[in-house]
Amino acid sequence: MRRFHWIVPFTAVGSLVFLYVPLLAVAVFSVNASRFGLTWQGFTLKWYQRLFANEQILEAAWNTLFLAGVSTVIATVLGTVLAIGLKRYPWSRRVYTLLDINLHLPVVTPEIVFAAALAVAFGLLRMVFSVFEPGMLNMIIGHVTFQVSFVALVVGARLASISTDIEEAARDLYADNAYIMRHVMLPLLKPGIVGGAMLAFTLSLDDFVISFFTAGPTSVTLPLYIYATVRRGVTPDIHALSTLALCVTVILVMISERVTRKTNKE
Amino acid sequence: MSSHHHLVWNGELTTRLRLIRRGMYLAAPGMLWILLFLALPSLLLIVVSMTTRGDYGQIEWVFSPDNFTRLLGFSSYGWSADYLWILFRSVWVAFWSTLICVLLAYPLCFHIANRAPEKRYFWLTLIIIPFWTNLVIRAYAWLLVLAPQLPFAKFAAVLGIIPEGSPLYPSAFAVYLGMVATFLPFVAMPLYANVEKLDWALVEAAKDLYAGRARIFWHAIWPQTVPGLSVGITLTFIPAMGMFVVPDLLGGAKYMLVGNLIQQQFGTSRDWPFGAAVSLALMVLTLVGLRVQRKHSGEGGVA
Amino acid sequence: MRKILFMALAMVLLAANMAMAADKELRIFIWSEYMPEDFVPNFEKETGINVRVDYYESMEEMIAKLQAGGVSQYDIVVPSDYLLPTMVNLGLLARIDHAKVPNIKNLDDLFVNPKYDAGNTHSVAYQWGTLGMMYKKGKVPGDPPSWAVMFDEKKQAGPFVLIDSVREMLGSALVYMGKDVNTTNPADLKALADMMLKVKKSKYFQGFEVGTGARSKVVAGTAVAAIVYNGDGLRAVAEDPTSGFANPAEGAVMWVDNLCIPAKAPNPEAAHTFINYVLDARNGAHLSNWTQYPTPNKAAKEFITPEDLANPAIYPTKEYVNKLQLLRDLGKDNRLYDELWTMIKTR
Repeated sequence: MRRFHWIVPFTAVGSLVFLYVPLLAVAVFSVNASRFGLTWQGFTLKWYQRLFANEQILEAAWNTLFLAGVSTVIATVLGTVLAIGLKRYPWSRRVYTLLDINLHLPVVTPEIVFAAALAVAFGLLRMVFSVFEPGMLNMIIGHVTFQVSFVALVVGARLASISTDIEEAARDLYADNAYIMRHVMLPLLKPGIVGGAMLAFTLSLDDFVISFFTAGPTSVTLPLYIYATVRRGVTPDIHALSTLALCVTVILVMISERVTRKTNKE
Repeated sequence: MSSHHHLVWNGELTTRLRLIRRGMYLAAPGMLWILLFLALPSLLLIVVSMTTRGDYGQIEWVFSPDNFTRLLGFSSYGWSADYLWILFRSVWVAFWSTLICVLLAYPLCFHIANRAPEKRYFWLTLIIIPFWTNLVIRAYAWLLVLAPQLPFAKFAAVLGIIPEGSPLYPSAFAVYLGMVATFLPFVAMPLYANVEKLDWALVEAAKDLYAGRARIFWHAIWPQTVPGLSVGITLTFIPAMGMFVVPDLLGGAKYMLVGNLIQQQFGTSRDWPFGAAVSLALMVLTLVGLRVQRKHSGEGGVA
Repeated sequence: MRKILFMALAMVLLAANMAMAADKELRIFIWSEYMPEDFVPNFEKETGINVRVDYYESMEEMIAKLQAGGVSQYDIVVPSDYLLPTMVNLGLLARIDHAKVPNIKNLDDLFVNPKYDAGNTHSVAYQWGTLGMMYKKGKVPGDPPSWAVMFDEKKQAGPFVLIDSVREMLGSALVYMGKDVNTTNPADLKALADMMLKVKKSKYFQGFEVGTGARSKVVAGTAVAAIVYNGDGLRAVAEDPTSGFANPAEGAVMWVDNLCIPAKAPNPEAAHTFINYVLDARNGAHLSNWTQYPTPNKAAKEFITPEDLANPAIYPTKEYVNKLQLLRDLGKDNRLYDELWTMIKTR
């Protein structure tokens, strides 16, 4: 233990309080009996009960999970093979640079610009193919686009730490490409793939802007629902919904910590 | 040609052509996906930014530089710096938010790194949770904290900063609060990775040479944390410039940033061409920002 | 891996299934809180049609959504009078087949063959009303109060909320200035811009919001005055005795909201059924008794609550009707207002 000037722990704890005060406020008001305004009028759980009777919210919750699930699966598969293809083959320098820039595009493009570009592109695509109307398909496409690049970066980092000697050794034992991929590369990459998939999943759950520009009437997600309701005037139901979402986040963080630690040990 | 020559690649006897072809099969789906749904649409944005808004809010394929002159401030009501001011303000807010986050992140990381190893996990989780909590929830949560019934607004009213019975939003102050709260974990997490592995021997050496606190930090600590810091700054500054949710909920019409301007053009104003032009301006600012940041931190930036 | 792929496949099938089920429904895109809670369930019961309701908070938002693809996703939208020509010009609206809407005979003469939609080819009036002021009792002087508590710096009485709707907001300001709400006179617009920018800088200015947002701010006490639609205001006032609603002394903007069918509506059959349902005398009265807006339905009047008929905040007096102004679509000159609005909002 080192001794720091008192300002260090003071600021540190202060920052954490600063991060948590709003979240606590939401949790507190989610059990407040008052319908309007923010004065304390006693404890209640009725807002939580109302949540589960609200079909729109249940549908939004399902949409959120569906979107995150499907886009994560697609992005994990694409991102993993992309990372292997990019890092393990003798690309010329110039081609590699171009591919690398393309791969980093979703990371550096501001979300709102990305969303605007998607809106314009889908707008024009719609003139030809009617399937591109605002809705789940567009949202999945948008989410996969940014997820792919994050998965590829995480898997790529893992790939860099795996020596090519192992591949060579397998080859010496007459393993063919498919066998090496299935029984050597994938198991070695597993922590990277799992980490990338978890990152992709949480990025999708967290996204607001891309969804906002691509959603249709039947594909509203929880963040969109909360935003729309807040714009209309916050109601206690939303506090309850947000508190639940917060609890789910806490649980997800716990699980992901466990998984990361376990896979790292393996 | 060299591509027809045989070569040994990771123990396999093959040709360059075969390898490239196989690499392409693997990389192509993901690459094409990004190309098709981000790179090409971005180029499309450039085209659309040069078209004109029709009288009823449709895109008219009449090409002119009008959207860019409008961005520079020329309109039917004469010249005004409104849009430039919004662009400048966005950079300004992003800059100060990032700086405040960095200033808060250092003590936070030192404090956590200074806990017993088995307790660090708990403290780190405290940062990770807000990191993963949905942005919309975190932004609107401030609406509650800043409401007029709560002590903060009451206190501000007593001081005469705001009229009694008003909330502390919409305001620049609320936007800054929201921004710092949003991005603090983004700076703290990568920074912590460096702080935890800090080589304290250097600090001890500096102490032995009777260096002051500031000099110790500057010469012995700061250089070791540059990689994490630079990732953190990139993760904060760039999204902060284009931020839309926080200024929308906490700044309202009183403190508009470029993200809101873009959303407004694609939303209620129904002026996609101008929205595309503003998007391009933001993209340029971002690239400039990345350039500057990379120059100052050498390697280690995200891009 | 195989398990994950299997799960993904199952999810896709499930989604496809849901999409099929959703195909038959009627999708209404409407202001929030614009129908009594039992209105849609009653319609569903009577017709066997499933309904999905989606809400918007401003006219501009609604058109933007339709333009961005919503035109093929909704069956009913409810635009205001002055926006109809724009929407027709953009090709966003389908023609209404009068043969499928026999109850159209119930419309009040005022709303038959209106200027903004000759022959009711694309629209049928849903509700009409005014843009008035909701206020905290005792904090705002005058009965009825004056627009000055918002637009005159020296008379502002406390925090106030303006409305986030270009023409309606600027129209209300023009009413206060004593000008034509459809003016394209540069001097008037310049004066309007100057006044609005000053108002926006006021320490009491609480932002531009529509409907429920503004209303709950007055109820919650974070604002003492707000521009709201009369029905919205009256319903809130009924629940909160500390607030009041009035059409201000200087006059107000009047509007007519209309039932319309988007050009590529997936279920136009059901849309016609819904329009006919709304135009039924009893249904129309039920609607207006709840919304607290005047009904455009002549046949419904006999079922309207008598107190409502006598309330000048709902059905304005003859003298006050002369102070009401209707917004018009300005064609090319819409741009003047759009630019002015962007300038006000961004500065």
